[in-house]
Amino acid sequence: MKWQKLKFYMTTIWAITIKDIKIFFRYPINAIFRIVEPIMWITPVYFLAKSFQIGGENIGFKLFSGTSDYMAFLIIGSIIASFVSAILWGMGFSLKNEMDSGVLESNWLTPVPLLVQMIGRSIFSVIITLINSLIVAFLVWLIFGFEIGNGIVSAVITLFPMLIALYGIGFGIASLVLITNNANNVIDITNYLLNSISGNRFPVEILPRVILAVSLALPLTYGFDSVRGILLETNTLLPLYQEQLILVLFMFVGTAIGYFILNKVEKYCKTIGNIGHY
Amino acid sequence: MSHYAIEVQDLKKEFAIKKKNVSFWKRRKENKSFVAVNDISFNVNKGEIFGFLGPNGAGKTTTIKMISTLLRPTCGKILINGLDVQKNSMEILKNLGTVLAGERSIYWKLTGRENLKYFAAMNGITGKKAKEKIDYLLKRFSLDKRADETVEKYSTGMKQRIALAKALVADPPIVILDEPTSGLDPQSARNLREIILEFKEEGRTILLTTHYMEEADQLSDRIAIIDHGEIIALDTPKNLKRSLNKSNTITFELNRWNDVIEKELQQIKSIENINSYFDENNRKWEVKVQINNGNETINNLITTITNSNIKINNFKFEEPTLEDVFINLTGKSLRE
Repeated sequence: MKWQKLKFYMTTIWAITIKDIKIFFRYPINAIFRIVEPIMWITPVYFLAKSFQIGGENIGFKLFSGTSDYMAFLIIGSIIASFVSAILWGMGFSLKNEMDSGVLESNWLTPVPLLVQMIGRSIFSVIITLINSLIVAFLVWLIFGFEIGNGIVSAVITLFPMLIALYGIGFGIASLVLITNNANNVIDITNYLLNSISGNRFPVEILPRVILAVSLALPLTYGFDSVRGILLETNTLLPLYQEQLILVLFMFVGTAIGYFILNKVEKYCKTIGNIGHY
Repeated sequence: MSHYAIEVQDLKKEFAIKKKNVSFWKRRKENKSFVAVNDISFNVNKGEIFGFLGPNGAGKTTTIKMISTLLRPTCGKILINGLDVQKNSMEILKNLGTVLAGERSIYWKLTGRENLKYFAAMNGITGKKAKEKIDYLLKRFSLDKRADETVEKYSTGMKQRIALAKALVADPPIVILDEPTSGLDPQSARNLREIILEFKEEGRTILLTTHYMEEADQLSDRIAIIDHGEIIALDTPKNLKRSLNKSNTITFELNRWNDVIEKELQQIKSIENINSYFDENNRKWEVKVQINNGNETINNLITTITNSNIKINNFKFEEPTLEDVFINLTGKSLRE
């Protein structure tokens, strides 16, 4: 890619991000809700888990996971899951939003490839998720307390290829939104299934065998597992380096498949002429 | 380099329609298709205003969307400045400024200035150059005083102007306008038409769709009349009207009228028909005279009437309209 083109694409990604920031803060209740929502979801699960404790420890849970610090297990799962949601919602829902507000065609009339536009749309979502996750983690630490080890840098490096791969899935989700004109259901179902089966709130070993097989086929499972392995020294499904390798492979395969689907769906939408529907 | 700004060759767009037949016993799908644009060809010269006139659902917007890369044709070819739309869409979009129908083509939660800044960046224009361009456009479209208010607070006319400014932000040589005055009040529509004429003066090529015949007539150098996805006539407005071979009508408002003067007027060769009517409410005569040789008879008519000591309060000259052309071609009105 020529430098000029790359510079142009970076400029457009920046412009999309700035636009999203401005629109986000014009709905101030959004910002507050983004912080309250994760705590709201975590609280009942935390107290339920606490009710199963014997002598202050989740003994059964420790047998599966290798740690009895359920809160730390849960908060790491929630943070990773929120990044998954951020990318899926960032791509799929913003596309639906633009469809609904009638500006999708205006964006498609700019000389910016759809892929670049999609990346741009997810950036702010990821940034706000990062800030949000830090605030939530801090608040949860204050309210419930948890401990994590010193491997934060390794965990972030491990997560990085997974996030890139999720962009690939995001392209696929965005494609489904384009075809179905229905973001909420498509994203909710995908997000829920992906996060649940990959074990965002529990060790996947407890899943029934058939579902476990599906879970093990999802690279996201190794994302949750390896990050917990690094930060909490939990038992991992595979040796850590193998899980990291799976995530790197997932990055290449996921983005390639996502890009392929997006291109096909863009052509399909331009054939059936549904992008102006709102 | 091509001589034409836009070349459309044998363009066709067919949409598949899936129709479900549901009964208690069986459920089957029928695949049908709908031809929105049927094998149309036309060229738009550089620097001209090319009007696309037709009723709603005629295929105007579908054609526009295919030209502006938003829709893939079923078959046929579109060239913009000699480049194939299907093969060079990103390059072509740099040369096109498109305003689609409806007022929701801009972000309502952003200000006018922020919208222009965003779309400038999406066209690779940033920094000082973008600022200068945006300030110029805001001023040109009389939006500078409310540039920092969110678009949701704008009137329909202002929203349409900011959409036009957005289309011009990258200074494109070709501007495509889909029903630009639809939904605007008469004053805003007139202002917008003046702006469109300014675009032409700047040397831009304009492809305009409308279902307002007066608008097409006033603005367009050439007009394609489209109905049921087919171009049924293409020429200058003047030639289209001339092709009707229809007489012109002069309507006089007079203070009095009688058979003597009517017989006198009937002696004039080019007069085809005279209809008189007394308006009781306004206490005046309305006389419609149909003539077949354009302006030459007018002098003769006026002299004959005034020599009979009849006062002419008002008169108007009516030429055949594009509506007449459309009715002649399709047997129905544009508004049907």
